This record gives sequence, structure tokens and C-alpha cells, in this order.
Amino acid sequence: MSRIGVFICHCGTNIAGTVNVSEVAEAAKSLPHVVHVEENKYACSDPGQNAIKQAIEEHNLDRIVIGSCSPRMHEETFRKMLSETSVNPYMLEIANIREQCSWVHKEKEVGTEKSIDLVRMSAAKVDRNVPLYSGEIPITKRALVIGGGIAGIQAALDIADAGFPVTLVEKEPSIGGKMVMLDKTFPTMDCSACICAPKMNEAGAHPNIEIMNLSEVEDATGYIGNFSVTIRQKAKYIDYDKCNGCGLCEQKCPSKVVSEFERGLAQRRAVYKPFPQAVPSKPIIDAANCRKINEDRCGVCHKLCGADAINYEDKDELITQEYGAVIIATGYELIDWTKLYGEYGAGAYPDVIDGLTFERLINASGPTEGKIVRPSDGKEPKSCVMIKCVGSRDPHKGKAYCSRACCMYGAKHAHQFLEKIEDGECYVFYMDVRAAGKGYDEFYMNTLEDGAVYVRGRISHIYPEGSQYVCVGEDTLSKKLVTVSADMVVLDTAMVAQESADTIGRLFGVTRNLDGWLTEAHPKLRPVETNTAGVYLAGAAQGPKDIPDSVAQASAAAAKVIGMFCKDSLESNPMICTVNEINCRGCGDCVDVCPYGAISTQSVDRRENSVWVTRTLAFINAGLCQGCGACTASCKASALDLLGFTNEQILQEVDALCL
Amino acid sequence: MASTQDIQSAIRARAGKLLQKEVISCFIGWEAGRFEGQSSPLVVRSAADAQKLIYNDYCVQLLAKYLLTENCSEGKVGVAVRGCESRGINLALKDGQLQRENLHLVGIACQGVKDFSTKEELKKCQECTHRNPIIYDDLIGSEVTDGPRVEDTFAEVIELEALSHDERYEYWSAVFTRCIRCKACRDVCPGCTCNECFTDQAAMGWQGKQSSLAENANYGITRMFHSGERCIECGECERVCPARLPLMQINRKVLKDAYDIFGEYVVGIDDCTPNPLDTYLLEDVEEFM
Amino acid sequence: MSVDSTVQDPKQDTATAEDAKWKPKILAFTCNWCTYAGADLAGLNRMKYPADVRLLRVPCSGRVNPQFVLHAFLKGCDGVLVCGCHPGDCHYATGNYFTRRRMLLYRRFLEYFGIEPERFMVKWISGSEAGKFRDTVIEASEAVNKLGPNYKYREEGR
Repeated sequence: MSRIGVFICHCGTNIAGTVNVSEVAEAAKSLPHVVHVEENKYACSDPGQNAIKQAIEEHNLDRIVIGSCSPRMHEETFRKMLSETSVNPYMLEIANIREQCSWVHKEKEVGTEKSIDLVRMSAAKVDRNVPLYSGEIPITKRALVIGGGIAGIQAALDIADAGFPVTLVEKEPSIGGKMVMLDKTFPTMDCSACICAPKMNEAGAHPNIEIMNLSEVEDATGYIGNFSVTIRQKAKYIDYDKCNGCGLCEQKCPSKVVSEFERGLAQRRAVYKPFPQAVPSKPIIDAANCRKINEDRCGVCHKLCGADAINYEDKDELITQEYGAVIIATGYELIDWTKLYGEYGAGAYPDVIDGLTFERLINASGPTEGKIVRPSDGKEPKSCVMIKCVGSRDPHKGKAYCSRACCMYGAKHAHQFLEKIEDGECYVFYMDVRAAGKGYDEFYMNTLEDGAVYVRGRISHIYPEGSQYVCVGEDTLSKKLVTVSADMVVLDTAMVAQESADTIGRLFGVTRNLDGWLTEAHPKLRPVETNTAGVYLAGAAQGPKDIPDSVAQASAAAAKVIGMFCKDSLESNPMICTVNEINCRGCGDCVDVCPYGAISTQSVDRRENSVWVTRTLAFINAGLCQGCGACTASCKASALDLLGFTNEQILQEVDALCL
Repeated sequence: MASTQDIQSAIRARAGKLLQKEVISCFIGWEAGRFEGQSSPLVVRSAADAQKLIYNDYCVQLLAKYLLTENCSEGKVGVAVRGCESRGINLALKDGQLQRENLHLVGIACQGVKDFSTKEELKKCQECTHRNPIIYDDLIGSEVTDGPRVEDTFAEVIELEALSHDERYEYWSAVFTRCIRCKACRDVCPGCTCNECFTDQAAMGWQGKQSSLAENANYGITRMFHSGERCIECGECERVCPARLPLMQINRKVLKDAYDIFGEYVVGIDDCTPNPLDTYLLEDVEEFM
Repeated sequence: MSVDSTVQDPKQDTATAEDAKWKPKILAFTCNWCTYAGADLAGLNRMKYPADVRLLRVPCSGRVNPQFVLHAFLKGCDGVLVCGCHPGDCHYATGNYFTRRRMLLYRRFLEYFGIEPERFMVKWISGSEAGKFRDTVIEASEAVNKLGPNYKYREEGR
């Protein structure tokens, strides 16, 4: 038989002003198993808490109901209070008679009556509470950062600087991501490589950072503090322990292919570093284009290599490692406009290029050493049209969202074009100019002063005429048809989520929205956490971002990881699901419903009616379960129940209301 | 089209052979009942006993349920499967109640079974959309033409839906008043495989013990929620109901709504499609939220 | 469809006198992270709304087994509300997607058995939508007041 104590808080006049507290207390006395009732001026205050503690001792209470403010406000306070008594902290229910009664109902009788109902419901529920105990989850103090762009690099550096080991996984041959491809960064016009490369080097040389280039996450299991991640290290065909990065192999390799890093504007070899400042500063062999590997001819690199680092027999390797926390920083890709925008030539016009290709053209370390030329004939373009929102804010063809960075890099490109090309003309077709950021609008204004012509409207189509491209569109401000002939067209294309983000999101139980961006736990208050505890987001993996935002989010995610690693162990949430093994029939319906992959089915041998039988049962991983209870409603056998919100407790509450 | 007599001989022959070669340890089929036109399920454990197996127009029982309840000893179990049995088996496979490698399915293309007293085809068979077994290891005879399309089986539900709320309440309260909660519908249902049914979990508080309209409706509506989306339309619940309640009108409502809202959906067509309520799409409809 | 026996609600005739002082009893299952927070905010803003609705806190609307809804009706509730986060905002990522399917079907089932669909509402109310919470309570209260007490399938003596 339970011994329930009921405490009704006045909250000064907050509750007592519009609820007849004495009447509520009087009504509580007649509730089943209630052995003690008292009023309390401020239950949350020290004297208030002491009075409750004293009543627990005096009346030998084993569970309590507090009629007060919202449990979202003080549930933790009162749990803490109970942990200092003989009563388990989870033998507590709070009837919210402030936010739901005294503050919203003017008439005293009405509020009092409703308060009595709420106290009765809580008392009925607490009657079925059972003591719960949180366990300790050990922490593996090693972090995994997926994606080696600027966000991933920043996050890895922050965690490593705090003294914890980090593995940085990058699917390309070098870290650096998109930022290292850029020429200058808005609005300050720092050289992108000059600020990115030192970070890359720092990460490459950091004793706490292990960089795994040409690697992808293949599998992940486990939960916060204890993830087990399998990474596929793809064959590099170069023994990095032996290679000294002299670069002789790259110079002599006879096989030439189009360079991905240079966006098709230059060629690279089959054994290559994507760019001179690559980290790790050692080459890899592109097996698909290597003559030795494919045709068993050549072998020049092997012959030349003084360090004997070339290994044509190299194989993919699977490496499984334990991690305590994971940061996903998979970044973005540009939308493939050639498939969507036939009106812009669908890629058939060589001088209609995207923004990233333009970055390589104006980059001093790019294929043209920073000289703007037309890819088609190598001549300097005298006029240029920039089209913004290609694929962005276009739900019919591309994406409905704004890609955020294009307005600014569009302005930057216009500025750079006008700076480099004497008598150059630059037209920017825009929908809106969104320049919200420190120094952003000033930068845009400067671009206008440079002479860039901003036309509000979209280009409806482009067609070639002689060596030029005719862009037809409407100036929606003057409502006139505009036709511009230009030597070059730059499309500011939308950022889209990396395809690999979908796989990685699924592996770690992080949801993707309809556009494929990974979803944060709360858009405002938990922007770097995900709904999987211990998994965080950084950079454009979560949505389109510019560099400052990506770096800021990366450091925020790193701070979360460091905060966790500073603890010795984690406290597990005891309000999680349990399985009644007698009732479970092993149908596995719950497995599909669980958003965290916390439920699995396992075969168990056991004696039933003195016969050994093999049963399939649901098994809950206490580290993964977050206690949402979605599985309980899918379990027809009621074998699954949520501690703290059991079927029995909820049914009792319903019954109590309907008395 | 094979005659029932041919099918009977074929079942006996195959069951006998499978048992003799010890491919299976037992075979589930039907035997003749005490009276003419009666049959009951039979578990055969020796080749000689295979001659006791029968097949005729009155083999009404769904064998899939007996796979789940009979303790068929070690090894593989043979069973005669018609369309409805195969759907029941697929459902049990999906629910992890059976293992495919432990089954040997002898398929029968079903021509419908009859009520002995009226000699008319049972209603459940007239409405059957899948007469041919969906899965089997070997098939007796050749496949037959299927019955109505899935959409055509919703007529009664549509008729009820056209009534007003109060008319429907009157209709269903009359139905539930007649229910005696014998739970035969649950016991015969191939989808009901819980170790302990919600209605028996007295301590949990789902269901009281009173004999009242409220508790009868509680049982009926909750059973609908539990097994409706997993109903293979074998109609066994309706056949065994001593109060002759129109239980399929309840199950078909779930199937119809699931079909209308979440797209084409036939229970037991395979062993992997999740229950519609245990899955979701981001773009699911929102009617009143 | 024929009706075999004439079932008259035992309460229908005697209830009139009771009806005069009847006040709706509406149970609202609210998720801890959105709707319950929204209700708290409504309190904080001192919004006024009818006192007919009692909140039952659950961690997630996905926790709400439709059997609870039926139970509430049988035990004497005149209306039931299930409220959760907006789709996509669920604290537990996907809980409310299951709620959406379950409740969508369950309302149709209850309607099929003759319970007026207006008695069973499902609403998405975020932690910031105190106004929507108030409006939902008002809407539910008005709907149930208009329909009167629910005697359908109600347990005798309740």
C-alpha cells in the first residue's frame, strides 16, 4: 500500500490568488492512499523544500504529489530534493495548477475545481510509480569528424586542442573541402587558400588528429559515449609510411585525366595530389586511370620512387574504431544545373559556367593563374552576365530554399570581374539581394559603385550568337524585356546536400528533411545537436551556409563534444522503454517504429512449461533509447512499456479524471 | 481445373511421400468430421496416416492458425495452403512467428468452400481476392481465376459509411450488445499471436470484466485496432462467432481506410511490407490536424 | 442495414436533468516538448480559456496509444484531444509521423462506430504557439458543448 503525500503550493499569490488552495488540499485528503496533505507557501524555496522533506520523514511517505507550477519548471528541482531523502526521485508527480489553472481561469471556483481534478489525476498516477535508477554510461574519449571541409577541420582542431584524440574522415584525397577551391572570401577579400591552408596544415600536423583521406564511413553502431564506427579506407596504392611526398611520380606519370579540383579546366595525372597544398601532402593513385593497374603496362612511378612507396596491390581496408562522439560535417554540393536548365544550354555552351568554376578561373593558383579567360577559346571576356538563384528559390525546377551565400559571392564575382577586366561590363540578374551579415551590405554597395549593373529579374533563356551568348530576361522593375549579349555567363547555382549525407544520416539515426539536409535537434535552441545523443552537426551538412557560419557552428559542435568528454561518465535517462519478456512475441513491429534504432530482436532460449524453447524477443539498448514511447503504441501485446509513463499510469490518470 | 477428388488424392500422395522421405516431420491438412460435410484440421505424423487426409468443398478451417498453435515437434512441417492460408503464413513470417525454411507448403488453387447446409459458397469465399496460394513449394493442379478486385470488397463498409452517426451507433451498439466476449474470433485469427491478449491483461487495465456494451465495444474496437490492419480476410472470425456478428465489416473498414489513405495494400501479399501504422511518409495526408 | 434488437441508451431519458448542470469533460494528451510547453506559455501570458480541458502529459504524441482515447470515451470523457509537435519538429524526430497515421485512422474508426468526429481532435501545437493552444481549447470546448454529453458506449454509472 502506497503512502502518498500531497503538497499544494501557494506560489505566493500566483496560485492562491485565483485558486482556493485550502479547498484543493481538503479534497486531496480523501483521495486513495493519500496519508498526508499540506499547503506550502513556496514549495520550491529552501524552507518549502525543507517542509516537504520533514513531512516525508514524519509521515513515512513513499511518494509525493506537488500541486505547483509546470513540471517543466521545477520537476528537476523537486527530484533533486527527493534524492536527499529516503524517497526515490522518480516517486514524484507534479500537478500543474499554476500555468493550467490559476493563471488562465479568472473565476476561483472554476480554477479550484480544475486544480482538484489535476491533483486527483497526479495522485492516481503516482500511486503506480516505481523507483527508477539512472545508470552510468562510460565515455570513449575520442571523437570522429566526418567530412574534412572547413567545418570539419575547425571542429577537429578545437577538440584536438582540448586534448582529445580526433579522427577526421575525408572521402577525397585531401582535406580542405570547397573552401580551398575558392579564390577570395567575401566581404574582407582575404585569400581563401591563405586562411584555409594553415588550418589544413595545423590539422595535418596535430598530434591528436588522425586524418583518413580517401575514406568513408561504412557502418555505425552504439550510442552516446560508445559508438563503434567502421571506416572504409580506400586503396591509395601509396604507402604513406614510406612516401616522402617528393612529387616525382606525379611529374612523370604519363596518364592524363581531367582534374576534378580544377572543375575540368585543367588536367591531372593518374598518380596525383589534387592541388599543391593538399593535406596529407602525399599523392594517391587513381586506379581507374592507372595504366599499370589496368593494363599491367607502364609502372614508371614505381621505377622512379626512391622511397619504394608505390604498391599496386593495395586493397581497401575496413577499420573499426570506438568513438564517444561524432560530428557530421559532410558539407554541400552544387546542384547539377545541366540536368535542370535546358534554357541555359544544359551545359552545351562552354562559356556558361557555375560559380565554383569561375572561382578556379580567377584563382591565382588556378589553371589560368588568375587570368579570366573564356573556357572555349581562351580569350578574355569583355562582358559577363551573372545569374543568381539558379536552382535556389525555384521549387518547380530546383529547390525552394535560398542558398544564402550566392548573393554575396555573386557580388564578389562581379567585383573581381570588374577589377580584373579593364572596361569590363558586368550584369547581375537577381531576384532579391540578401546581404544580411557583418559588412555584407557594404560590400554589395561597393560592387554597385564598381559599376556592376544589377537587373531584377530572371534570365528566361540563353542562346549563342557568333562568339557571344544572348541572355533574354525581364527587368521586373521597369517591366521591360532585357537582352544582354555577353562573352561569358556565370550561374550562381544552388547548394544541395551531399548524397553521402543520406547514408551517414541513416547510419547515425539523424533525420534528413525533404531536401536532404540533416536535421538539428531544435532549430533555435539546439542547433548543433541532433536527435541522436552524441551526434552533432557542423557546417553546410545542416543547411546552406557561408564560411563564417560554418566555422562558428563547427566550434559550437566541438564545444559540445569537449563538454561531454570532460565528464568521467554520463548519467543514463531511466525513463526508457522496457520489455515484458513474457508478453513479447517477437514480431519486430517496434523495431521499425524506433527512431533511434534502440530496439533489436534477439533469439533467446528459455524454459517454458519445463520445455526448452527458442523465442524471439525485443531487446532495448538502454544507451540508445531516449524514452519517446512511440514503440509502446505499436506493441499490440503491451509487452513494451515506458517507465515513468506506463500504460497503467496513463490509464489510471484517465480513470481518475472520469470519476 | 482439378476436381476436389483429384486434389484429395494429390494431397494424400504428396503428404505420404514427404513423410516417408522424412522431408517433413508432420503434415497439416483436414480429416473428415463425425457427420457428413464436417471436417476438422488434422496433423499427420506418418506416411500411413496420410490416407486419413481429405479435401472437399467443406474444408472450411484455415490451417495457417494451426501452424502457430500446434506443437508440431522438431523439423519441417508440411501444410496444405490455399490463398488465405498463404496470406496467413506470409503474415506470420513477417511477424517472426514462423520460419520459411521450416515449412513445406503444398499449394492448392482454391475454388471456394461451401456451407454444407445450404450448399452455397461461403460469403468469405465469394469475396476472396486471392484464391491461388501466393507462396508454395509445389502446386497441385493449375491456378484458378481470382475473385473480385480488392476495391470491390468494400461495398458493405461504404453502405455503412453512408449512414448518419446516430444510425451507425444504433447499428453497432446492437452488434456489440450481442457480443458475449467468448473471444473465439481472437482464438481463430491467424494474426492474433500475442502470448497474452490485451483483454486478459487485467492488471494493466485495458479492459474491465463487466458484461456491458462499453466493455464489449472496448473489446471489439481494440481488436479492430490490433488486427484490422493485419487482416488477411480469411473470414474465420465471422465463421466461428456464435453470435453471428458481422466482424468482417469491422476489419474491412480498416483495410479500406488504409487502402484509400496509404495506397494499395494487401495483407499477406509478401512477408516484408510493414504494417501501415508502423511506418510513415513525410508527405502523409493531414486531414484535421 | 437492419438493426436486430432495439438498443436504447439507458441514460438518454433520465439524463436531461443532469444535462442542465453538465460541463464538458475533455481530456488532452499533450507532448512534453511542444504542446505542454505551449500551454505553459499560454499560462505565462495569462491567456484566458475555458476550463473544460484537462491536460495529460506524455513525452511524445507517439506515446499516445489510441486505446487511451477509446478508454477515455468509455470512462466518460465528452471529448479527447491529442496534441503534439508539428511534423518535422518532433523532439524524438519521427514520433508524430506515427501519431499522424494512427490518429487519422482512429478518428475514422470512431466515426464508423457512431462517435461524432468533432469529439476527437488532433492538433499540432508548438511550444511557441500559446495562441493556437488557447484557440484549440476554445474550439474543442465549443464543439463539445454544441454536441452535449457523450453517452455513446459510455460505461454505465459514469
